[in-house]
Amino acid sequence: MIAALWTQIRVIAALMLRETRMTFGSSHLGYFWAIMQPLVSISFLVFLFYLIGRQAPYGASLALFFATAILTLELYYKLSVSLMRAFTSNKQLLSYPMIRETDTLFARLFLIGLTFVIINFIFYGGLIALDLAGLPAHPEKLVMAFLGTCFFGFGIGTLNAIFYQRSQSWQYIEKIVARPLFFLSGVFYIPSALPPEAVAVLRWNPILHLVEWTREGYYPHYRSDILVIGYPLAIASLLVMVGLFWERFSRKQRA
Amino acid sequence: MIDLQNVSKSYTVKKVQKCILDDVSFTFETGQNVALMGHNGAGKSTVMRLIAGIEPATSGQIRRSEKVSWPLGFSAGFNGLMTGVENVRFVARIYGAKTAQVLDAVESFSELGQSLDLPIETYSSGMKARLAFGLSLAIDFECYLIDEITAVGDARFKKKSAAALQDKIKSARVIMISHTEKTIRDYCQQGVLLYESKLYYYDDMNALLADYRKFC
Repeated sequence: MIAALWTQIRVIAALMLRETRMTFGSSHLGYFWAIMQPLVSISFLVFLFYLIGRQAPYGASLALFFATAILTLELYYKLSVSLMRAFTSNKQLLSYPMIRETDTLFARLFLIGLTFVIINFIFYGGLIALDLAGLPAHPEKLVMAFLGTCFFGFGIGTLNAIFYQRSQSWQYIEKIVARPLFFLSGVFYIPSALPPEAVAVLRWNPILHLVEWTREGYYPHYRSDILVIGYPLAIASLLVMVGLFWERFSRKQRA
Repeated sequence: MIDLQNVSKSYTVKKVQKCILDDVSFTFETGQNVALMGHNGAGKSTVMRLIAGIEPATSGQIRRSEKVSWPLGFSAGFNGLMTGVENVRFVARIYGAKTAQVLDAVESFSELGQSLDLPIETYSSGMKARLAFGLSLAIDFECYLIDEITAVGDARFKKKSAAALQDKIKSARVIMISHTEKTIRDYCQQGVLLYESKLYYYDDMNALLADYRKFC
């Protein structure tokens, strides 16, 4: 049992190293780009909104308000999209008996998770250094929100991988579903301050809850009327369970 | 020991069902060098993949009490975008072997020289096979699965591979697929015939080859 666990840890670690190489080439700067790429695109977005700059919907810093949402949203996007291709781009790996398809999912989850830990540190660190933000008020809550987002992204990503493996056109459907999330996830507004009709609809979006969770973690007094932590977590659990069981039971037919 | 218990394997390709194994219970005893024979398309390679644990059985169980290699002679497990060195490191890591040691062994055996630092997609199929063969020798398996490997490379390299393999089976054993009588006699003392979805065991190579000629 313990030996099997070690094998799996070893396999996932090896896969993570391999993923960094495959995604970013074999230059030593490879991982640097892994961090720079989302960092630059997020900075650009925040900077853009900062230029359009009205007053911050909440708190003193517009940049921080956007950042709390965009960092969460980007983490989710990244997981959703890159896990989608985990099965199809790793087919040749299955000639090694100890590698299960799910290991490729876990490897990508950990790699993206770790990358975003670094991105979060750099980004919030930068805002703090530029005096655009204070220290997070409830770091433990911020960490929980981050883990919750990873969990949710993993659930969606796993199902994406299963669908994508069956039909490549799933990537277009995923895009259609994912696109409006940017507007539905409270990037530019305080969800609790919207009219009740809008709230009644928006509150079904689990990612909005994750964003609200992050904000409650960062700001000392941010109070969300919408946030129910159990909601995104329950959906994530359901997705992960369905995804992993589905993968397990369809494995024999695919081979 | 590799133990098959009530193993069935079938798959469907474009509505045509193909049965490879039908409720087979069979034991590959430890230490025996076994030739696996059968006619073209009988499913020898699939049986080997079942033994390797790459492909799941449709029903039944396979237990292994020895460290089994992946089927040698195919290099499908390599990633074309990664260099030879990176591929070797990856495989060494997943098998829990020492990467530096494995890399040294592969470098000296495969004779690929500087090509090891190039992406695999630039290799010829002979180079790939040399890398795969060298790599599998560098990781210490107790059971080597060999699927028609002997036709790799030029005459000198063939000789070298054969010598290395002979050396290896002093401490490990092979299960081998080959249509060449000489190869089989060189390495194997026991045989298995895959015939109409069943496995038949032979203690005597002459009897195996006789039946092989008769039925296949």
